[in-house]
Amino acid sequence: MTLLTPILIVPAVAGLLCLVLRSRRAMELANVFAFGITLALSLRLLAAVLAPPYAVTESSEFFRADALSAWMVLLISVVSLGSSLYAGRYFRRDLAAGAVTAGRVKEFFVLTPIFTAGMFLVVLANNLGVMWFALEATALSSVLLVALYNRKTSLEAAWKYVILGSLGLALALFGTVFTYAAAVDRQSATLPSFNWSHLMLVAGQLDPRMIKLAFVFVLVGYGTKAGLAPMHTWLPDAHSEAPSPTSAMLSGVSLKVTLYALLRFHILTTACLGTPFSRTLLLVFGLGSMFLAAPFILVQTNLKRLLAYSSLEHVGLICVGIGLNSPITIFGALLHMGYHALTKPVLFFAAGNIHQTCHTLQMRLIGLGVAKVLPLTAVCMGLAAASATGLPPFGLFFSELTVLSGGFAAGHILVSTLVLAALLASFCGILYQLTRILPGTPKIARNANAAALDSVPAMGLMLGALVVFSVWLPTPLLEVMERARDIIGGVQ
Amino acid sequence: MNAFAILLQTLLLLALAPFISGCIKNWKAKLQTRRGPPVWQPYLDLAKFLRKDMVISEHASWIFRAMPYILFISTLLAGLMVPMVSASAPLSLFGGALAFVGLLALGRFFLALAGLDPASAFGGMGSSREMTIAAVAEPALMLAIFTVAIAAGSTNLSQMLLAAQGPTWKLLNPAHVLAFAALFIVLLAETGRLPVDNPATHLELTMIHEAMILEYSGRYLALIEWSASLKQLILMALLVNIFFPVGIAYNLSAPSLGLSLLWFTAKLLAAAAAVVVVETTNAKLRLFRIPDLLSAAFILATLALLSTFLFE
Amino acid sequence: MNPLQSELASQWITLLAAGMLVIQLLMVVQRMLLTNIRLFALQSLMLTAIAAIVAYFHNAAHVYWVAGLTLLGKVFFLPWLLNRQVRRIQIHQEIEPLFNSTASMLLCGGLTLLGYIVARPFTSLERLGNNTLGTAITLLLTGFFLMFNRRKAITQVLALLTVENGVMLAAVALSTYGMPLVVELGIFFDLMVAVMVLGLLVYRIRETFASMDVDKLSQLKG
Repeated sequence: MTLLTPILIVPAVAGLLCLVLRSRRAMELANVFAFGITLALSLRLLAAVLAPPYAVTESSEFFRADALSAWMVLLISVVSLGSSLYAGRYFRRDLAAGAVTAGRVKEFFVLTPIFTAGMFLVVLANNLGVMWFALEATALSSVLLVALYNRKTSLEAAWKYVILGSLGLALALFGTVFTYAAAVDRQSATLPSFNWSHLMLVAGQLDPRMIKLAFVFVLVGYGTKAGLAPMHTWLPDAHSEAPSPTSAMLSGVSLKVTLYALLRFHILTTACLGTPFSRTLLLVFGLGSMFLAAPFILVQTNLKRLLAYSSLEHVGLICVGIGLNSPITIFGALLHMGYHALTKPVLFFAAGNIHQTCHTLQMRLIGLGVAKVLPLTAVCMGLAAASATGLPPFGLFFSELTVLSGGFAAGHILVSTLVLAALLASFCGILYQLTRILPGTPKIARNANAAALDSVPAMGLMLGALVVFSVWLPTPLLEVMERARDIIGGVQ
Repeated sequence: MNAFAILLQTLLLLALAPFISGCIKNWKAKLQTRRGPPVWQPYLDLAKFLRKDMVISEHASWIFRAMPYILFISTLLAGLMVPMVSASAPLSLFGGALAFVGLLALGRFFLALAGLDPASAFGGMGSSREMTIAAVAEPALMLAIFTVAIAAGSTNLSQMLLAAQGPTWKLLNPAHVLAFAALFIVLLAETGRLPVDNPATHLELTMIHEAMILEYSGRYLALIEWSASLKQLILMALLVNIFFPVGIAYNLSAPSLGLSLLWFTAKLLAAAAAVVVVETTNAKLRLFRIPDLLSAAFILATLALLSTFLFE
Repeated sequence: MNPLQSELASQWITLLAAGMLVIQLLMVVQRMLLTNIRLFALQSLMLTAIAAIVAYFHNAAHVYWVAGLTLLGKVFFLPWLLNRQVRRIQIHQEIEPLFNSTASMLLCGGLTLLGYIVARPFTSLERLGNNTLGTAITLLLTGFFLMFNRRKAITQVLALLTVENGVMLAAVALSTYGMPLVVELGIFFDLMVAVMVLGLLVYRIRETFASMDVDKLSQLKG
């Protein structure tokens, strides 16, 4: 039974359906339902990928899912489901407070499934050009989502995002064209295939200089969209100005989906060149991101920007894990992707609650004592923050430990020490920032927003999944991640 | 260094220069739906100036008296180096194109000095403006000529012409086109045409060339006006012959020379028409914007030079 | 193909590519927004011509499609759309850019050189118009410069579009038959939607900020 096409079609149809639906409740249900279906399909995809030939292809190799794609599909569906569960209550409160109009809420429910469908297309496409096209589609839909509130700051964030994102994507298109040219460079009469799987087969015959140039362009291009420093300047703005469900999706999966595209090129480049060229670059950019994020976390005044810089750091860590290129560190990076995708949305949901209750995101204006005003939110936020800073027993502790131990074991002492330092810095930073708002007695009288309880299912679900999967990884999941690790590491 | 050839080219230069100026003036007027002066008016003007008395400021020094001759002779010498009717120019001084630019620069130098000499405010102002423009125009001129020189392998202008033989579409290569564009802008600047300088104005704020020669009268003025038209003719000839060497005579037989003369005149008139169109459709640039235009010409010339290496 | 025809086609492609470059430089110093849009349309027209020559020379039918799409989209539709935007917003002129005219010109000259140096190792490959890769990279670099140098939002959109032109030029120059039609179509429609989204944003910015000056978009810091 076809598996890949429904994964793409269901969210797209849901989005288009929301164009014609009138009731907000119906739109919420359509979104949740669609993402529920995709979650089920993604679980089936995981099972399908574990059986030989270890990859699912459809439409004559146009769509292709191997273990890495299946992992990403799972992450995307989980985060989208969580976001859509949260979004209903969130916008209900916003509508009541008058922060958005009904038209904008409809825009949200139309664009979000389309955004998700775009992300699915990125990870399922075999053709490098289609991958680019899908990334551009996700960029454009998320730009409109970022600009949803139509405030001055939202528009500014959206403008920076769209300009930098488009520039990055133009560069990446250059790189894609060069990759294609490297495959064309033989006197053949037929058009070479643009499919990644085919290119991997002929990797040894591609022009190495062109592939090198292509990778540099792709790294800077997709790296801009993935938020690698120093091209990350749009990230804090966009992730903080967007509505919280969108921020959760942007931080939680969108960055990783772009990283996925970059990884496909990295795998191709390494297969072609056989030198540490691409992973060294990844390592450098990853480390740069981690170190750039740390000081901004320490001096941050805006809650969501704090979370955005934390995402920057985590993405940096994933790049470092892949750049170190030992099986342990790559596995750690994949684990990290998963746990971060579960943690960050919870943080953003909690931040959204706080924003709607306190009507500000500036931490000194939020003041102390959020725990007394919004107890459940504070608990969720505290737990998720503990996870995000890498405390046991949460999964991120294990993934960071894996990456570090792999790094030390493989002999990259300097890099691992630097990573450790950056992680410690961000740990201190986030801890410090959250103690400024969570504990204590509230100085400003605030009515606890009773509706805040409504968001507990969404947060609880993801937090629960985080806790469960931190201590128990089912064997199929482990197998899929091991296969994905082999794909990235170039072991076939 | 055939003396006969030198004499012929000199006569050609002297005779043709005012004609081109007259054509430009007349066509500009026609394009502005005026009748305009007749095409041979500059000849009559020259004759008039030669007859008249001169009034010379008491502050003027020997430079004032010497400049018209220096300007005239240096321009004429530069003109003799440019191949006009035959592919080999009568005069070939050391350095070819370098000497050409140097001679023109010599003339301009003395012109500027003579503007300062009678101690009138207008003169000094004109001189400083002229030098500003020259500072940016000359590098562009040199780069454009060097582009063609590199392709030809020599700075000798006749050599450049000989090297440009071949199928016509070969002239469409980017280096040539860009150098032509750069040289055209420089032509407008060097001959004091709109949009760089208005040749018909006598308003203090807008004149450059006119300001320097404001104090001149009589036969000095005749020589200076003639030199200006000569410079215009020479630069146009350079432009059309180096970049479109169509119809030029490679041997010295009388029929081919005659045909070449016709082709040459036709090309000159075409260039004059282009200048007229540009002059009529553009407003004069403000003074501080002129370096912008000329640096654009400089960049075009640089690109042209780069193209010879990179577009192999 | 006889060598003479190949050389003639190559000459024309090189000339058109140089034309695209010169137009790009003109856009860097031109201030009137409507003129800039026209210059972009002219540049796209040259790109169409290059694609058509490549298509004719290689008898590749789908490159004709590419040329046709470029003609319809980038020469007619997008300039029309942008023109409409400019007239709606009523801002016709750029303000003083970061670098003045002369400095911009010189910088772009330097960027051209850089572009050609980067493309040098690839110009030895045997294909039609093999030196247009340098032009493509230069279009990319000068497009970036244009985006950075100017302050009106519409000019930034135009800069983005010229970068896309550079990418297309690279695609036509590098691959003998162009990219697969599916990919080309996808990229083309993406571009259209991107410009529409950008236009929408520009309009909303104008409404909210009462200005198109992206310098005013500087509240978010840190």
